[in-house]
Amino acid sequence: MKVAVLSFAHERAATYARLLHAMPGVELVLADPGGAADDPVRGPRTAARLGVSCVDNWDEVFASRPGAVVVTSEVAARRELVERAAEAGAHVLCEHPLADKGTDAQAMVDACTAAGVRLTLASPACAGPAFAAVRQGIAGGAVGELTTLLGTYNTPATTRHPSGAGALGANAPFLLDMVDAVLGGEPAAQVYAQTNTVLSGGTGAESAALVTVRYPSGVVASIDCGWSPAANHAAAGPVMTFIGDRASVEFTTSPRMLGGVDAATAAPRWETSATDLCSAVLEDFVAAAGTGQASGPDGASGVRTLRIVEAAYESARTGRSVDVAAPPSTRP
Amino acid sequence: MASGERRGQNLTRVSEVRNVVDRVGGAMRQLEVALIGAGLIAQLHLDAWIAAGASVRVHSDDGRAGDLARERGVRAVGSLADALDGADAVDICTPTSSHHEIAMAAIAAGVGIVCEKPLSASVAEAEEIVTAAERAGVPLYPAHDVRFGPPFARLHELVAGGHVGTGAVARFTFSAYHPRPWTGHASARSGGMLTDQMLHGVDLAYWIFGDVVRVHASYQGEIATPAPEGAVATGTVILTHATGALSQVVSRWTATPSPPIRVAFHVSGTGGTVSYDTAWPQEIHVVDGEAGSFGHVGEPPFASEIGEFARGLMGGPEPRLGPRDALAAVRITQAAAESAWTGQAVELPVEVVA
Repeated sequence: MKVAVLSFAHERAATYARLLHAMPGVELVLADPGGAADDPVRGPRTAARLGVSCVDNWDEVFASRPGAVVVTSEVAARRELVERAAEAGAHVLCEHPLADKGTDAQAMVDACTAAGVRLTLASPACAGPAFAAVRQGIAGGAVGELTTLLGTYNTPATTRHPSGAGALGANAPFLLDMVDAVLGGEPAAQVYAQTNTVLSGGTGAESAALVTVRYPSGVVASIDCGWSPAANHAAAGPVMTFIGDRASVEFTTSPRMLGGVDAATAAPRWETSATDLCSAVLEDFVAAAGTGQASGPDGASGVRTLRIVEAAYESARTGRSVDVAAPPSTRP
Repeated sequence: MASGERRGQNLTRVSEVRNVVDRVGGAMRQLEVALIGAGLIAQLHLDAWIAAGASVRVHSDDGRAGDLARERGVRAVGSLADALDGADAVDICTPTSSHHEIAMAAIAAGVGIVCEKPLSASVAEAEEIVTAAERAGVPLYPAHDVRFGPPFARLHELVAGGHVGTGAVARFTFSAYHPRPWTGHASARSGGMLTDQMLHGVDLAYWIFGDVVRVHASYQGEIATPAPEGAVATGTVILTHATGALSQVVSRWTATPSPPIRVAFHVSGTGGTVSYDTAWPQEIHVVDGEAGSFGHVGEPPFASEIGEFARGLMGGPEPRLGPRDALAAVRITQAAAESAWTGQAVELPVEVVA
C-alpha cells in the first residue's frame, strides 16, 4: 500500500517516515511543499536519507492515489489536507488537534464519513497491548464501578506545540483520548481548568494545566498535563489511575525495566521495556487501512477531545466551569 | 542510555519471527522439528515452533502426544526413531532423566538438539552429550529461556558492551511458590527441588561474568522430591568467577503464592550498577483494592528463544546458547548441590573447549 506522510511540520513526521519505510508492504511517499521558512529542505533531507522521493506539491501527492496518509502538517493546514485525502479515497492518520476550531474538526469528520475513509488520531498511549488490557479489564468490572480517572502527562518544557499552544493543548488530548476510550465515547458535560506560566517564565503559553472533566454518568476525570521542569522518564507519563468502587489500577505506558546508576555521571540508570507506541500506532493504522478494523481514537473522538480542550481554555480564562456544547448532529 | 533505544524491541522481535516465517516458508525449505514430550513446556515450545514456520512432529511416551498434535494441527508419531527420521532437530521437553538417551539417539542420527534445562542431572552425562555433539558436529542449544527475557538480555548487552565496566559483584534472586505437589525423585544430595530453579541465576551469572572456578552453597529445607505443594526451601550460593568477579545466587520456594514469582538482580562494576526487580510496577499496577488478576504480561520469551534457535538450525547466526553453556550450568548447579551436602567449597576446572 502507498502511504504518504504529508508535511514535516510536526516533530514526529521524520519518525513516522522512518518507521513506515521499514514496514513490509508499505510504499512510502513524502511531501513537504515549501518546507519550513528556516529549513526549506527538511523533507527532501529525510527523503534522501531513506532513499525515497519527496514531492513538492500536494496535487502530485493526491494524484499518486495513496491508500493512506499521515497528516503531520501545521494545524492550520490539516482541514484542507484531510478533506483532500478523503476526496482521494485515502484513510487518514492525523496528529492532535484535528483543527483549531471544533467546527473545522467536525467538517473533517464529516468529509471522511462521506467518503467512506477512516479518520484516526495518532494517540500513542491508546495503542499497544497493555492499554487494550486496561480497557478490557475495566469493561469487565476489574475495579468495580469506575468513578474517577486521574491522569498525568508532563513533557519536557522544550516541547513546543506547532500551533503555538502551550501544555494544555499539546498534552491534554493524549490523556483525554484514554478517558474517551475507557468511557466508550461518552461526551463530557462540564470542564474546569486552571493554568499558569511559572515554567515558561511568566510569559507566553501556559506551562501548567490542571483540568477536571465531569461526565453525565457521574464519572470525573482530572488531569495534570503541564510541562516537566526536567526530562524525567519515570514521571513523564502518560500515566493514568483508574479508581473504582472496589479497586484502583494505575496504567503507565513506559514502566521501568532496569534501574541502577552510571558511575561516570552519577546519574540514575532508567530503562523501559515498553513497546514502541509510535510503531504500534502506525502498525495498527496500516493494518486497519487494509482490513477496515478500527484502531485508535476516531475522528469523532478527536472532536470530543477538541471540545473539552476548547472548554478548558475558556475555563482557565474565565475562572468558571464551562458546559461543553453538545456536538452538532453529523450530516446524514 | 536513552529509553528510546529500548523501545521497539518487542515489535522487532515479532518482525524477526515473521521474517523467519517468510524465509522458511518461502524460498528456503521448511525446518523439520521432532518435539519429544507433551507437557506444558512442550506446548509452549510447539506454539513457538509453529510461529517460526517449522513443521513439527510430536512424540511422547506418556500417551499425550496425540491430543496435543490434534489440538495444534501437527502430526504425532509413535516412536522416537520415527520422530528423528528426517528431522533437522529434536526438541527435548521430557523429564530430565530421559534427556541423555534422547540426545544420544539424536546425535547418532545426526539430528540437531534443543534441550529443556537442565541438559542432565549428572555432570558425567552432560559431558558425554556435549562431547558427542561436538564430535559429530551436531548443534546443541539448551533452552535456558531466562536469557531471552528482556531485562536479562539487556543486562547482558550492558555488561558485554562495557557499560558496567569491569564486573565486580552480581546478585540474582529467583523465588516462587510451587502450586502443585512435587513429583519426581530428586535426592537432597542432588540439590532436590532447588537445582532447576538455581540454574536460572547460575546461568545468568555465568553469561555475564564467565567461567566459575569455585562454588559454595547452603541449602535449607526439606528439598528432596516428591514433596508437598508449598514446600519451603532456600538455596544460597556464592560463585567465584575466573576473572575474580563474584556472584550470589539465591533460589527460594516460598510458603505462599503472594507473590507467585519474584526475580531480582543487582550487578555492579567499575562503571556503575544495573538492577531489576519484578516487584517494580509495570504497565498495569493494582494500587488498592482487589482487582483479581488484572494486569498485562508481555510476550513470553519462548517465541524469541525458539525463533533464534530456528534461525541457527537453518544456517543463520549462532544462538546465544550452545553446548558449553549447557555443560557449565550443570557443572555449577551440581557443584552447588555437592557443596551444600558437604559444607565445603567446590573447586571447578576452568572449561577448556575440547
